Amino acid sequence: MSAPESLGKLPKWAMLIDTTKCVGCLACVAACHNQNELPVTEYFNRVEEQEFGRFPNYNRRFLPMQCQHCDNPPCVSVCPTGASYKRSDGIVAIDTRRCIGCKYCILSCPYKARMINKEHGYVHKCSFCAVLLENKTLPACVGTCPTGVRVFGDLNDPNSEISKLAASKKTVQIGKDLNTKSSIYYIIG
Amino acid sequence: MASGFAAGTVSCGAKNGQEAATGIKASADVKKIATQCQGCGANRCGIYVYVKDGRVWKVEGNPRTYNNAGTVCPRGHAYIKELYNPDRIRQPLKRTPEGKYEPISWELAFQEISTKLNLIIMDNGPQSVFWAQYPMANIPLAFRFMHALGSPNTITHGATCFTARNAAFNATCGGLPDNDLKNSRYIILVGRNPAGGVKLQQIKDIADAKRQGARLVVLDPRHSETAAIADDWLPIKPATDLAFLLAMLNVIIEQGLYDQRFVSEHTVGFDNLRDGLVTYPPEWAEKICDIPKETIYRVAREFASYKPRALIHRGYHGGYGAGYFNSFQTARAVAILNAAIGNYEAVGGLFIPLKPALGELINGGHPAPNIPDIEKTDGAGVPGRYPSASYSDGIVHAVPELALSGKLKAGFVYHMNPVRTNPNPTRVIAGYKKLELLVTIDCVMSETAAASHYVLPESFFLERDDHVDTVHSGPVGQLTMVQQVVKPMYDTKPMLEIITGLSKGLGIGKYFNFTMDECNTLRLQPFGVTLEELKREGVIEVGPRWVEGFKPCKTPSGKIEFYSSQLEKWGLDPMPRWQKPLVSPNPSDKNSFRLIHGKQAIHTHSMTANVPYLMQLSNRYDMIRLWINRQRAEAIGLKDGDTVVVESDVGKGSVKVRLTEGLHPSAVWMPSGYGIFSKYLKTAYGKGINYNDFLNTYFDPAVGHVMSNEIIVRVAKA
Ligand code: SF4
Ligand code: SF4
Ligand code: SF4
Repeated sequence: MSAPESLGKLPKWAMLIDTTKCVGCLACVAACHNQNELPVTEYFNRVEEQEFGRFPNYNRRFLPMQCQHCDNPPCVSVCPTGASYKRSDGIVAIDTRRCIGCKYCILSCPYKARMINKEHGYVHKCSFCAVLLENKTLPACVGTCPTGVRVFGDLNDPNSEISKLAASKKTVQIGKDLNTKSSIYYIIG
Repeated sequence: MASGFAAGTVSCGAKNGQEAATGIKASADVKKIATQCQGCGANRCGIYVYVKDGRVWKVEGNPRTYNNAGTVCPRGHAYIKELYNPDRIRQPLKRTPEGKYEPISWELAFQEISTKLNLIIMDNGPQSVFWAQYPMANIPLAFRFMHALGSPNTITHGATCFTARNAAFNATCGGLPDNDLKNSRYIILVGRNPAGGVKLQQIKDIADAKRQGARLVVLDPRHSETAAIADDWLPIKPATDLAFLLAMLNVIIEQGLYDQRFVSEHTVGFDNLRDGLVTYPPEWAEKICDIPKETIYRVAREFASYKPRALIHRGYHGGYGAGYFNSFQTARAVAILNAAIGNYEAVGGLFIPLKPALGELINGGHPAPNIPDIEKTDGAGVPGRYPSASYSDGIVHAVPELALSGKLKAGFVYHMNPVRTNPNPTRVIAGYKKLELLVTIDCVMSETAAASHYVLPESFFLERDDHVDTVHSGPVGQLTMVQQVVKPMYDTKPMLEIITGLSKGLGIGKYFNFTMDECNTLRLQPFGVTLEELKREGVIEVGPRWVEGFKPCKTPSGKIEFYSSQLEKWGLDPMPRWQKPLVSPNPSDKNSFRLIHGKQAIHTHSMTANVPYLMQLSNRYDMIRLWINRQRAEAIGLKDGDTVVVESDVGKGSVKVRLTEGLHPSAVWMPSGYGIFSKYLKTAYGKGINYNDFLNTYFDPAVGHVMSNEIIVRVAKA
């Protein structure tokens, strides 16, 4: 299979999260924390836990959450300074130099994906590890997951694993009714 | 994984817009160094540590090491930052008569310790000295040190963790097998939770096997994190796994579902086994273990139908490592069930890992001291005491009694914390305080360090080289090692330098006249691998690959022993039969529960609670809670998040509860990494409680393990 840049067009980054394989270990959360050199109390991703049923017919589901890199991102439309913006490769980014810390975007995000950096006062969040992508390295949360919950890739490459998976009926986008057009596809067992 | 990506490429910081977009500063100097993780002491995963502008930044898994296959668990990510923990010990310390700790030079510490130790040995003999540590790569050095002194007393944490399992597999098949989970079609976990007591390769292989259509059955009183990806969760009543397994065996044998050829060629004692099992049908077991007989029949048939590509995981701590009075026989039943379907040394079954034999110091002109011709003071491996306990693990929680009775006088504790991780802290403290000399070697002031006469700071794993290691050996031998990533920050030393320093004044200096490089070079000699190569690659494969096919067992018969005449000789049950748990909750007291415990993926023993980031995760995810069955909780007026008082005949403490449908009603479940009471560990101090606070001091009759789930507590609203 060819590398993304040989396709002659920009990639469109996306992630698939297969919750049926997630054991809630938080390795992805800790890897993200180191990669982005975050203060102890700040985080870009999280894992929610859901419980179903009554003893003994009971089950749990772990649901990894982070910025969904929406194609129709409310955080970008409410940003008064243009600090939050959508890149042509699909990543929703923040130019922290232009961020005035007004928190409109934090309130507008239905996925609770953004937080204030206490030290500098700007808003920050998951960037799909854009720095790593430049060096053809997978996002930190993807590479560290022991059960392979996370598949990352280029939707503009029809042969990529993510393209095939995203097209399959098994996947859903969380909050589809909100018309955010998210770039993270979930398999929910 | 997506094409065109590499996990593990050095990425040298960001450029322009990226920098602003991610908050990551561009950096010119990023180094990536291969080493081994020490975040749990057990798995020693192969990792790359990134150092950015001289500061340790992040880790990535080495894609080729067997135990982790490119991944890293949360502790592994967080533990590197322990390098910068302000609670680290910065120089050797000595306790003052007032109980404070003041700095002492290495030279003086060595001198004082060896003078005291010489006197103790002169008066009480070398068997009054012990060394306790986890069974890590450098344990041969501890053996060398103790043997040079003439003491047989090297001890691991095994008796609080896994010795029932080890002894049972030794008796049955002459060694501890590994699981070929990846190729298995039907996997049963009995109390084992590799997603919490993390073994990355196991959880990865289970997920991969499931992608190939394998079925996963989790037998566990609690809905474990692994149960979250299982096909079946069987919430068994704790302490009764043995009943379930005996009934499975009964079905498989009565219905002729076993591998007849394997059994006749490679096992002994089948007839005895069959005769002994007739009284254990599923109809009998369901009343004991709370799993319906239909389910037991189904699981037994399904398991056998995939033979030999099915397995019951060989287990670890949870279930039958050291949990119950019947753990040894439970582990025997697990070993026997695997053999009944002929999965030993079969694809998708169990196999003995191919550990390469490392080169020895003697090949470099450094003869080993003789193994002392004295029985272990704790009775491990001694007929009439704990005959099937392992010589190399010993019985760690016997130390306090042996100290109180004057049999042990001096001890070294190396990167272990028995004062916190052994049953009944009051008793453990009393015992360790009774020692005339206690020396702890660690990076932080653990509870044990805080009870010691001397505390010697070892360099953090990122600051030192350790022994060449074979822990990653499975279907092929692998060599790995801890190598220095950054220079030591404080006045600390690696373990070899510490014992070398001690050896001079003890008159055993001739056994320690080599460097770690020399030792490692000798260890690598048989393989034609240089130290530089290993340090560069992080892992090197050596020796043959595993091939399918039965290999003679290291048992007296050379076969798998359903009936063990060795056990019979020792006065132990030669075959598993039902044994009741030692204690049970009071059925007429609605506040009475069995206290069971287990690991969360973010903590190990007592060694990670003080890592600020991991404690932050515990708080953010509200993980310092006691699990309790919702119906039982409501019957005693509890709501989710209430604080309860937990009390046993040993101890008392309070903790928040988590009400859940995911737990057998007879038990409460406590996460095991909390309850730090060393005031020197500022992040962890006073957060949560620990099951050891409630556990009596027991020694199971076969191997002397702790029986750590034989605890009855009363739980009531605070
Ligand atoms: S690393 Fe993987 S299994 Fe662990 S919590 Fe994250 S997504 Fe789930
Ligand atoms: S998930 Fe939230 S922060 Fe991310 S793009 Fe969508 S609205 Fe914006
Ligand atoms: S399991 Fe986690 S803590 Fe243990 S060695 Fe591996 S990465 Fe480190």
